[in-house]
Amino acid sequence: MTQQITQPLDSSFRDPSGFVFEKDGTIYRQVNKIFRDDFDNFIGSGCYDQLIEKQWLIPHEEIDKNFTGSPGWYKTLKPQRVPYITYPYEWCFDMLKDAALLTLQLTRECTQFGIILKDATPFNVQWLDGKPVFIDTLSFERYDESKPWIAYRQFCENFLSPLLLMHYSRQPLQSLSSAYPDGMPLSLTRSLLPWRSKFSFHTYLHIHMHERLSSRSAGKENQKENTLLFSKKKLFRLLDSLYSLTNSLQWKGDATTWGQYYEEANQRDDYVLQKKKVTIEWLSQLSGTASAIDLGANEGVFSFLLAAKNMKTIAADSDHSSINRLYQKTKKEREKNILPLLIDLANPSSAIGVNNKERISFIERTNCDLGLALALIHHLSIGKNIPFGKIAELFRSLADQFIIEFVPKADPKIQLLLKGKKDIYNDYNQENFVHSFEKYFLVQKKQEIGNSGRTLYMMKRHG
Amino acid sequence: MTLHLLYIDPGSGSYLVQVIVAGALGVAFFFKNIGRFIKNAWWYVRSLFTRSQKNNT
Repeated sequence: MTQQITQPLDSSFRDPSGFVFEKDGTIYRQVNKIFRDDFDNFIGSGCYDQLIEKQWLIPHEEIDKNFTGSPGWYKTLKPQRVPYITYPYEWCFDMLKDAALLTLQLTRECTQFGIILKDATPFNVQWLDGKPVFIDTLSFERYDESKPWIAYRQFCENFLSPLLLMHYSRQPLQSLSSAYPDGMPLSLTRSLLPWRSKFSFHTYLHIHMHERLSSRSAGKENQKENTLLFSKKKLFRLLDSLYSLTNSLQWKGDATTWGQYYEEANQRDDYVLQKKKVTIEWLSQLSGTASAIDLGANEGVFSFLLAAKNMKTIAADSDHSSINRLYQKTKKEREKNILPLLIDLANPSSAIGVNNKERISFIERTNCDLGLALALIHHLSIGKNIPFGKIAELFRSLADQFIIEFVPKADPKIQLLLKGKKDIYNDYNQENFVHSFEKYFLVQKKQEIGNSGRTLYMMKRHG
Repeated sequence: MTLHLLYIDPGSGSYLVQVIVAGALGVAFFFKNIGRFIKNAWWYVRSLFTRSQKNNT
């Protein structure tokens, strides 16, 4: 009988200490012999227990079995499963900031146990029950007090650079993070930051001076570097400086037109109330629905309805300010079931990285029990010129069942969309909408929303 | 970009930079402490002065 070899996941290949693999639908992490000493020290020192108690690290159980059959095997870990993997370029400003602060807190805490974090990449942070959690159990190595922090530059490039650029420019620059998944080069950050950023002492040190000094010394043989001694006190100063700088950064982007959406929508008779009523009624008739995605979630009014039904809900929207506000709201209300994500449905996150397999595309990652698309179709169809057929194809890959709102062309909001542009949307009507969706879905329910002229549909994917 | 930069592992190092940054932070911390000491001393002297004024009246 030939033994089945379990391969590492496409995202797990950089660190020789071990790798992540999937077997029978379960995620495992293998620790290699090469990392045995550091791993045993991490567990034995009490550092792991402390981080678990603080809920900063993903818990795992040890399995005494070599599933991969690899000769370098030392241990197999079965970490708690993260229900939905996200990437930093899908996070809003405050999510990236919280992930950065967690990374710094974790590094400081570990030094008490003679351990230090060897990586500072946001890809090692995921979201569990509304909070960021560190997932790479093999990033903790023995701390040598005489050596500086190996991940310092990585932190500056992966966390500090995008945060500073967004803070100063007041623009959502997540697409820059996806263009530079290994971190934004400091030379780029430095050239994009405004001149006044030099007056911020900590920004000057960690970006401007950092880039100047490292570009000057790069490539030169510097034997001095090996003899330079560091200390714990210096490390703490460095970490405290990074923490206070990161903590001081704020998203100050202008409120977008979507900011006041519900305020304005609520004034349209009892439109939102009626829509909520129908949605709640339909949701109460569902059973076995554990996961949901709210497309065009805005500030998550309907995502909270899904979360209240104990559904793990992805609240996706392309408007950064809305998602940032929603994240703040979920934090404040300690809502564990909502995961706000910055997703542009006209251009969802693609597969990137090595072999275009390292980071999985949004479509490939997403397969929920229920999808919500309220007051969204017309934005994709008329706002982005995407035909119904393509929208239906997209929805088919995202969820098994959908609640979709159809807005007729006569609606004032569509007339606003058409203002100043030629009406080439002859195919935009209810009949064509239903016809296109029926290719992939079965219409189960249909109900008009009060006197608004808008209609809600409940559809189920074929097969 | 200079050619030699292409051969540098971006994840490693910045050792020299960190030593300098930590040094600069140390100097800043030193002056911050002096500033704090002067501020505290000033408030202490001021409180003594106002207390003695109150006692005299």
